[in-house]
Parts: sequence; structure tokens; C-alpha cells
Amino acid sequence: MQDNWLFIGIAVVIAAMLPMLPIAAARILSPHRPNRLKNETYECGMETVGDTWVQFKVQYYVYALVFLIFDVEMIFLFPWAVAYDNLPLLGVIAGLVFIFLLLDGLAYAWRKGALEWS
Amino acid sequence: MTEMAPAQEGTLEARFPGVVTHDERKGYEGYIVQLDKLTEVAQVLRDDLGYDFLSSVTAVDYLAQKEDEESYFEVVYHLYKSTGGSALVLAVQTPRDNPAVPSLTPLYPGAEFQEREAFDLYGIDFTDHPDMRRILMWEGFEGFPMRKDWKEPYFEEDVKPFANRWPGGQVYRIEDHNPVGKNNQYPQGFDPESWSPAIEDALYDSLRRSNAEYDEIEDLDTEQVIVNLGPQHPSTHGVFRMAVLMDGETIVALKPVMGYLHRNHEKIGERNTFLHNMPFTDRLDYITSLSNNFGYALAVEKLMGAKGVPTERAEYIRVIMAELTRISSHLWAIGFLLNDLGAFFTPSLYAIEERELLLDIFEATTGSRMMNNYFRFGGVARDFPEGVLERIGELVTERLPRKVDELDRYLTNNEIVRTRCEGIGVLSPDEAIEYSMAGPMLRASGVPYDVRRADPYSIYEQFDFDVAVRYHGDVYDRYLIRLDEIRQSIRIVQQAVERIPDGDFLTGKNPYQVRVPAGEAFGRVEGPKGEIGFYVVSNGKANPWRYHVRAPSFINLTALEKMCIGSKVADVVVVLGSVDIILGEVDR
Amino acid sequence: MSFFEDPIKFLAGLLQDLLVSLNLHPIAITVINNIVGALIVSSVGLVIVIFLIWLERKLAARFQDRFGPNRAGPFGILQSFGDLSKLVLKEDVVPDAADKIPYNIAPILSIAAVVLVWAVVPFSVEWIGTDLNVGVLYIAAVGSFGILSVLMAGWASNNKYALLGAFRAVAQLISYEVPLIFALLIPVLLARSMGVNQIVGAQDIWYIFVVPVAFGIFFIASLAEIGRTPFDLLEAESEIVAGYHTEYSGMKFGMFMAGEFLHSLTLAVVTAALFLGGWRGPYVEQLPLLGPLYLFLKAGFVYFLIVWIRSSLPRIRIDHMLDITWKFLTPLSVVLLMAIALTDALLKEFGQINNTALYVGAMIAVNVVIALLALFAASRLNSRQRRQIKTFEPRPLAVPPKPAAPAAASTSEEASA
Repeated sequence: MQDNWLFIGIAVVIAAMLPMLPIAAARILSPHRPNRLKNETYECGMETVGDTWVQFKVQYYVYALVFLIFDVEMIFLFPWAVAYDNLPLLGVIAGLVFIFLLLDGLAYAWRKGALEWS
Repeated sequence: MTEMAPAQEGTLEARFPGVVTHDERKGYEGYIVQLDKLTEVAQVLRDDLGYDFLSSVTAVDYLAQKEDEESYFEVVYHLYKSTGGSALVLAVQTPRDNPAVPSLTPLYPGAEFQEREAFDLYGIDFTDHPDMRRILMWEGFEGFPMRKDWKEPYFEEDVKPFANRWPGGQVYRIEDHNPVGKNNQYPQGFDPESWSPAIEDALYDSLRRSNAEYDEIEDLDTEQVIVNLGPQHPSTHGVFRMAVLMDGETIVALKPVMGYLHRNHEKIGERNTFLHNMPFTDRLDYITSLSNNFGYALAVEKLMGAKGVPTERAEYIRVIMAELTRISSHLWAIGFLLNDLGAFFTPSLYAIEERELLLDIFEATTGSRMMNNYFRFGGVARDFPEGVLERIGELVTERLPRKVDELDRYLTNNEIVRTRCEGIGVLSPDEAIEYSMAGPMLRASGVPYDVRRADPYSIYEQFDFDVAVRYHGDVYDRYLIRLDEIRQSIRIVQQAVERIPDGDFLTGKNPYQVRVPAGEAFGRVEGPKGEIGFYVVSNGKANPWRYHVRAPSFINLTALEKMCIGSKVADVVVVLGSVDIILGEVDR
Repeated sequence: MSFFEDPIKFLAGLLQDLLVSLNLHPIAITVINNIVGALIVSSVGLVIVIFLIWLERKLAARFQDRFGPNRAGPFGILQSFGDLSKLVLKEDVVPDAADKIPYNIAPILSIAAVVLVWAVVPFSVEWIGTDLNVGVLYIAAVGSFGILSVLMAGWASNNKYALLGAFRAVAQLISYEVPLIFALLIPVLLARSMGVNQIVGAQDIWYIFVVPVAFGIFFIASLAEIGRTPFDLLEAESEIVAGYHTEYSGMKFGMFMAGEFLHSLTLAVVTAALFLGGWRGPYVEQLPLLGPLYLFLKAGFVYFLIVWIRSSLPRIRIDHMLDITWKFLTPLSVVLLMAIALTDALLKEFGQINNTALYVGAMIAVNVVIALLALFAASRLNSRQRRQIKTFEPRPLAVPPKPAAPAAASTSEEASA
């Protein structure tokens, strides 16, 4: 088991190195002649107006909240699915009730209009 | 202002005695309206007399040519009834110093861009215009280029052919005598090196101003962002720019910005001789050159009178070519609408494949695939070569109908196409008329107005075809209209190929120079993008005194903001695609 | 053991012998072994991607009735190398306004997040980077790093298109993660394991034939996760230029591009492993070399579907896109999971769990019923929600007025002219 995670650890390092190599190679091989105009923010050839980092109206933050609920609950479902064989029927049903509550939450959010793009 | 015409018929003159007078100049047939009464007259025309469609607004600079003449600007309006019929031409005259004319934009919103254009190029101020800015030239440009006394940096002579080229033939170019730097004139205090485009402010102010109507009730304190879509943008169909004010992804205000491709087509057109302009019209909407030729030929032929009447065979050739152009333009439009919807080029390549076959025919007949330069006053430049007519017949009976059905089958009921197009960019019939929309835009909004039927020209009356019309006014209907029109055009070509008579393809000889009597004429045809009109004023000399293009792509953009407000960024691109603009024509 | 029987094991054995003969510490041996393994596993995908880009361009060209790349090398197969060398030589323009640190990390992360998935992909019976017992969870977890890279790139670029693209991306990716993970749960449940190789091992019958709906959900959600048509909103070319990587150029842009292709390939491979029986196929037990062949054939099929869809469909708008996941795929996947779990439990309760025919039949029946119900509900919902599109009144055709009833103005013109 430890071996497995050692492998993953090494893989993380290697996975980070792999894309760095071509970027580093490009850094050596490619020209580098910046100037003010070239380094301007691209906005279809016009100068950008106003700040980009403003209080942008993110119409989907509600989705993010709903997602968070789902994501957390899903974590609990994985052990349930794995340990499935050892569960009595009642255990399965308990799990199903849990999932049903999740679905109920979705229905609630839907009814409340949280899933409407405004 | 004498009351020449007696008020016998209940005419406009009788209704406005002393205000509206018949235009007595030779070759003119409109009415001259007193400057300060224009709005009043227009109101009556629109509400009581049914002239609800303001097709064209433009200005003419009547600069005195002789000592005893009077100099003035004239603003010319072409009004139509949306129920059909010919034009009512109104003109108002304003002095050349401090010219000002009441704006008709409040009555006819479709005048907005055209009045801005007249302001931009002539410096005529339209009072009460909601957004009087330059439109084709850049904000900060010095002078008004369409005025007869304005001279471009490389000015040689007023009219062509320039003396050094013909008949003398000692050719030199003014650029060589006048290198850059010495030639340019700058306004006082202007330094091109330190210049920065702060002049954008006028645009952004206008953008924020039009947002004032949008109610801004937000529970969260969010900011609206100005984003430029274009000019360097993959789906503005060229160097077209939309300045957009967004709230999240919702469009709050939008201002089209154009003129990046502006070359003052009309000024060049006035330097050219009449015949010079024929190939020049190709460059307007370069997808539909033959339709442009058609409109221009009609306008000049009207002036020429009996000399300019095309032969029977020429009329058939013209109709065939114009309808094939319509097919190819609509195929292009449909293909690229799908691209704007995000399809990865497959639909457009399928559509363009068919267009290629049509271009082959154009090439065989006119010698060029796109810049056809094919029409002549009184006919066309040459006849169909051998076998081409048969090839056209084959195409319109065999291949094209099948391919249109194929497009229809693949695209029309695609769920994504439908959800993204239905109910997007809606224009009601009344709005469409108000905004002077033309062509597929107008007919998709439920107004069955087609110049070929409403004000027939050439020999269209002899053909059996239906005017395609749809009743939802959204992007989807504009797409369907184009499919319908391809089918109708195929019908027309089928009939024309069958009936085309033998004979000459041109009345008289093909001259180097045409004599055009003095007068004004407006020739309009139903182009693929909409009504393309040419307003030509001749003073009897070799060059047109005024050459104006009523560009459907340009005028159809007037309603772009109206169609886009409240929709998403993704929709803007689709709406623009459904308008089907060609920048060569928008910017001229 | 000969080379041809199992080349990987053969080579691994050689390496092991070599390391032992060098008298290294056992821990060092393990580490070196792992490094070599990880290097091989990580680069497999990247190497394939180079050819995959060529293949995709070739395929898309065929769909569009053209040739595609055909100049560089036979059939244009060297095209990608040409592109690669061009990208290496391109100047890397970094906008002054950008936030440099996240700006530079984002392209690295976009590749790294996908490469890591390959650590648990089983290539053959025993060829697997590492057989994690929580493999599926690992795939889900590591895969979400990609979202982070998109958000970083979009935010750090300080560009409005990039920011819009990033916002869209985040909304899309997190939304589709929900049905994706629920669909992932179903093979886990059927195989009673989160280990990817165990899931492959448990597929005596490919899961696509047991739970086709789960495959469908997983496939659609993966399309969204990799941002492919019709879900390519995050880099919607026709709207927001290039989306979150608008400001990237040179090799950094190349990394995003490669990352996208690699992501597609990875999800195709994962789909093949979870639903199409992975490396399983005839004679694979005897000849492990066939394993990767089968795996990539199946993955290739999935990839072909992706390219096919890409060259056929337009793009979905963002609100429709969110509707699809939250109002259709998510409820459907949850209900499906419940139904599968219940069916499985009941069959077990009645002792029929080993009756394969009955088991598969019941599962398919459940799938079909749920799919039909879902489609019915969706079409009901759709027709109810379909925007009320107003139909305007027909008007009479515009024709010139009859001469008998002359229009006041126009005739007077002619009279006096």
C-alpha cells in the first residue's frame, strides 16, 4: 500500500516536470523581444476599458453551492458502494434513503429556482 | 417657392401648400420640402399616407460650378410603402455653412445610421439625433470627405480619367511627387507620434447612456463591464466591432462600430466615370457582385432612358445571374451562421461546396469568380459561353434542389440549432419596418416585402415564384427564410433557362464612355442581403455628380442593438450571423 | 520468461537484476523502480497525443470532405512534429497586466492533472502504474485539478475573454462532475471495488451492456469535462475568442492544447476501462502484449465518437448546458444509481446474484425503463419550458398599387414629369 502512494508521489513530481521541459526548451529556443504594445492585454485590438478584476456578476454561484453539497455527499457513497457485498438489504436501503435525501435537496433547489439562469 | 402644381389631385403639395413643392429641376421627380417642416411632413407621410418604410437617406453637395449658381446641401429621402409601390422622393436643402436638418430618427429609427453617415461624410448636423457621432471615419477625423471641396492627401484631379493617363499617356502617380510625410496634413496641435486613441470615449459614453433605460435592480453589488467584440475577432465576419456593456453574460447595451474597411467608396465613385463604377460595385458586397451590378445598371439605365433599355436576352441573363448569386450568398450565410453557432466548419464547408459550383459558372461566363464586372448599361458584357446554360439547367434541376434538401434535413431540426435560434434576436414586423430592415431580415419578421414583387424591375413579373415569409422574426426564421429563398430562386432560374430567347445580349455597342443625361435616379434591386439601391445624380457630364449606395448590410445593422439587448454574449454572435453582413458593403 | 511473452515484466526483471547487482539499498531500488515506472506511464499518453492530434485533424477533414494534413511526411503524419517545433520557436508573450505566478503555473497544471490519471490506468492484466484500491476516487480527484488550471489561467490573464471563459469553465466543469461521479459509482458498485484493475477484471460482460445508461451519462459528462463540442463553451472561438487561454502563446499555449487532447484521450481510456472491458479481449491472458492493443482500440472507438460529435454539432449555450446537467443528467444518474443498487440487492437477497442471464436481463430492463422515463420527462419539461415564441400576424404581399386606384403622390410625379 505504501508502495502505491510512493509511486503516486513520484508520479506527481514527474507529471509536473513533463510540461516544464518543453516550456523550458521553448524559453531557450524562442526569441524574447517584449515591448509595450505587444504585451498589452488582448481585447480584439482595442485598448481594454476599465478593470477586468471587478465584482463581476457570476450568475452561477448558486450552482457552485449546490455542487458543493453533492460533492461532499458523494464522498460518503464510495465506501458504501465498495462495501456493498457485506451489507444486509437494510443497509442498502439505508444508503438509498441517504441518496434520496440528496435528490430531495436537488428538487428543493430546483423548486426554489436556484437552477435557473438569471 | 411658388405653388406651381395646382392642388388638383389631393397631392402632397395640396396638403402642404407652400411647404412641399415639386422638384422642377430637369430629370428630377421628387418633392422639395421646407427645412423646418420636414418632421411634420414626414409624420403625415408615415401615419396618414402609408409611407412607413424609409429606405434611404443621403446627402448631395450641390457646390456651385458657376458664378451665378447657388451652393447648398441637399438631403434626399426615399420613402416606400411597406405594402408595395414605387418611391416617394423627398429632398430638403440646407445652406453649406452650418448645415443642419431635423433628424427623422425619432420617426424612422432606420435613419439613425444613415443620418450619422451623412453627418460623418458631409458634416450635416441632424438636430435631435440621439447619438450624433461619426460612423465610418474615426472620431477626431478632420473635415468631411464627401464634400466636393474636400481633397484627399493624394488628390490629383476632380474626375477621371486623369490627364496624365489619358489621352496623353505620360503616366505618373501623384504619390511619387508627393511622398508621405510632406503630403499629410494634421489638424493644429496634432502630433501623430504622441496620439493615443482617447477618442474612444465618445463611444463608451454613448454605450453607458443607452444603458440608462435598463433597470438596474441588483441584490448583489456587481459591476457592469465593457467588452469589445472585434475588430480582431473570429466571428464578426471581418473587421467589425461591437462595443458591449455586459452584466454578467447578459448584454445591457451594444454599439456597433464600423468603418475599419472604409475607403470612401462613394467619393471614388464620383471621381470615376459611369462605366468605371461597374467593376467598382463588385467590391461592395463581394459575395454578391452580380446583384450589385444589377442595381447600379438599373439606376444608370433609368437616367439614360431609351438608350439604356436592355435586350430581352440580356434581361434573362441578368435574372439568371442575379438569382444564382442569391443562392450562393444564402448558402454562404447559412453555412457561416452554423459556424457562429459553434459548429466546427462542417456545415459551412458543405454549403460552400455547392457555392463553388456556382462560382465556376460565374467564372465561365464573366471571367471572374467573384469580381464579376458583368453588367453593362443596356445589357451584359458577354453572352453565356457554349454549354454554360445547359450546365446551369443541370444544376438547378438536379444538384441544387437535392443539396438544399440535404442542408434542410441535417440542420433544420437539429435540437441545438433550434434551442439556440428560436426566440433569439426577435424583431416584430413593425419594428422591422421602422428600422428599415430589408431582405430576409424583413421577411423573417412577417412582412412579405420583396422588391421583385413590391416594385417590380427587369422581367421578374414574368416569373412564377413565391415571396418567402416567416412569422417569428427570430434567428431561426431568418435561417429558414434563406432556405426558402434558395428554393424560390431555383424555381426562377429553372423557368428562365427554359424560356431564354435568342438575340443580342447588349443594346447598341459596348461603349467606352456612356452619355448620361442630367437628373437623379434610384435603382434598387432585391439583393441577397436585402434591398440594394444606388442613388445616382448626373449633371450630364462623364462622371456621376453623386453616387450613393444604399447598403443593406449597413442599414440592417441599425437594429442590432435592439435585437441583442437582454440576450447573452453567445447570442450576439448568432444574431450578427443571422443579419448576414459583409464588411465590404457595411464600411464602403 | 521470454521478452515476447511479457516484455514489460521482462524488462522490469532486467532492471531489478541490474539494481540488485549494484548492491543498492532496498529502498533506493524501490524508488528507482517507481521512477522508471512513473516515467513510462506518464509519457505514454503524451507520446500518443502527438499522433492523436494528427489523427483528429485527419478525421475531422474526412468528415468535412477534405484531405487534412498531407504535406509533412507520408499522409502528413509529421504535421504534429512541425507544429511542435513551431510552438517551441514561438515567442512567449506575457501580458504586462497578468498575474505572473498563476499565469505560469496554469499550463503546467493543465498537463500534470491529466498525466497523473495515467498512474492508475491498467494497460494489461498486470501492467498498471499502481493498482490503487481507491483508483476511481483518485481519477475523480486528480481530474478536478484541471478546473483549477483553467480558473488560474483565466483569472491570471487579466483579460475579459479569458475571465469569461474561466467562469464558464468552472460552472461547466463542476456541474458535470456530479453526474460524472454518479456514473462512476455504478461500475464501482457492480464490481464491488474502487480499484480500476479490479473493475476491468470484473467485467466478464462489458458494463456498457449491463448499464448502458450509465455509459451514456458518463460519456456525455466526459465530453463536458474535456470541453469538447457541443460543450466547448470554455474556449468558444466564435464568442470569446479563445476563452481562458486567450493570452497564452508559444509553448504555454501548446501545453493547453496538448492538455486538451491528452484529457480527451485519457477520458476515452478511462471510459474504455470502466465500461468497455479495458484490456480484456481474446488471448490477452496468454499474451499480455495484446492488452494495450485492446485498450487503445476501445479507447480509439470512444475517441472517434468524440471527433464525430465535434465535427457535427454546434455549441450549446451556457444556460442550456447547465440545464442539461442539473435538470436531466444529475437526477437521472442518481435515480439510476438507486435503481441499480436496489436491483442488485434484491437479486442478492433472492440468491440469484450468480445467475448471469437473469442479472444482466434485469439490469438492462431497469436501464431501459429509466431511460424511457427520463426521456419522457425531459420532453414534457422541454415542451413546457419551450419559450413562448410569438407568431406575428400575416400581412398581404407587398405589390404595387393597381393603376385604377392611384396612390396620390406617385402618380402625380409621373403626371408632372
